[in-house]
Amino acid sequence: MRPGVRSAILSLLVAAVGAAMIWAAFFWQPQPPAGPPHAAQPLASVPAGGDFVLRSAGGPVALKDMRGKVVMLYFGYTFCPDICPTSLAVVAQALSGLTADELRQVEAIFVSVDPERDTVEKLKDYAAYFHPKIVGVTGTAEELAALARGYGASYRKQEVGSQGGYVVDHSSFTYLIDRRGGLAASLPHGTAAPRIVEEIRRLLNETPAAPTAARG
Amino acid sequence: MRPTRIVAAAAFALLASLPVAAQTAADTISIVDAYVRAPAPNAPATGAFMVLKNSGATERRLVKAESPAARVAELHDHIDEGGVKKMRPVAAIAIAGKGEAVLKPGSLHIMLIDMKKPLTEGDSVPITLGFDDGSSKRIDAPVRKLQMQMPGMSGMQH
Repeated sequence: MRPGVRSAILSLLVAAVGAAMIWAAFFWQPQPPAGPPHAAQPLASVPAGGDFVLRSAGGPVALKDMRGKVVMLYFGYTFCPDICPTSLAVVAQALSGLTADELRQVEAIFVSVDPERDTVEKLKDYAAYFHPKIVGVTGTAEELAALARGYGASYRKQEVGSQGGYVVDHSSFTYLIDRRGGLAASLPHGTAAPRIVEEIRRLLNETPAAPTAARG
Repeated sequence: MRPTRIVAAAAFALLASLPVAAQTAADTISIVDAYVRAPAPNAPATGAFMVLKNSGATERRLVKAESPAARVAELHDHIDEGGVKKMRPVAAIAIAGKGEAVLKPGSLHIMLIDMKKPLTEGDSVPITLGFDDGSSKRIDAPVRKLQMQMPGMSGMQH
């Protein structure tokens, strides 16, 4: 090959690569690695809730064992320094605002969506710190995914370059389940405790008292 | 004017301007209402919150935080997307000239990760705040427990 031809080919190559790079820089828009889990859930669909069984340090926790009671449900993780403690403190405030009689008819469950780091032993003390009534539970990735889908909750593990490890993006609703086990309300983060107490009282009054005694 | 006078005048001007030029971020930024939230048992991280007030005209940036109480201290923010809370580290927190930056729950905070010993109410946590001009400021933030009682109830249960 003559040197003239070789250099011509070379410069063509350089030009082609350059053009590709310029095109990539200006026009190439890689698809985001799938939207947030929430996007898959049309807003119009009202989450159905539903029964679940998860693990706590004290054994399995099954929603169907809580028929006749109003249940507060919250999804989070212990590495969460701010949102979860704030929500759990509000749950604790609401519980403290109930009478002893009302309190007997209410349960509160903290579901960790980070079973890799949150063991049931860790969750026990963590949840009870806020209020002795709050039970910390978790499950397998599949169980948690099914539960979150049922309640319209979402969570997603994210590497964000924190030296503390990954974070979990998560929805921050407090769910209220009525005495028949149905999802009654999804209260957004920031809902004040007196408002939650109102909702709980409404649910305690609305449904005729289920046979709690019969269930032991 | 003789050259020596010019030099003297220049030196004077320089000296006079020094106190202004020497104002560092640490000089113009004051910290109020700083506190660290008492972490729940087994919680590996907690937040430090405060208001940074800037008395100077220049915008300053908080670029790092350090505390002997934790292995890591990072600047974080929360993004809310339709009720989904996304916590993200941020490189800096700007404090506008004559303005303030508010670090509060649900928003900007200093995240303390891997506490060296459990923090309880009444403890005081030293935090060194580093600014973009290289100056730094040490504060002692008291540990505060979250309010677990209904606001305004004051133990009034029937």
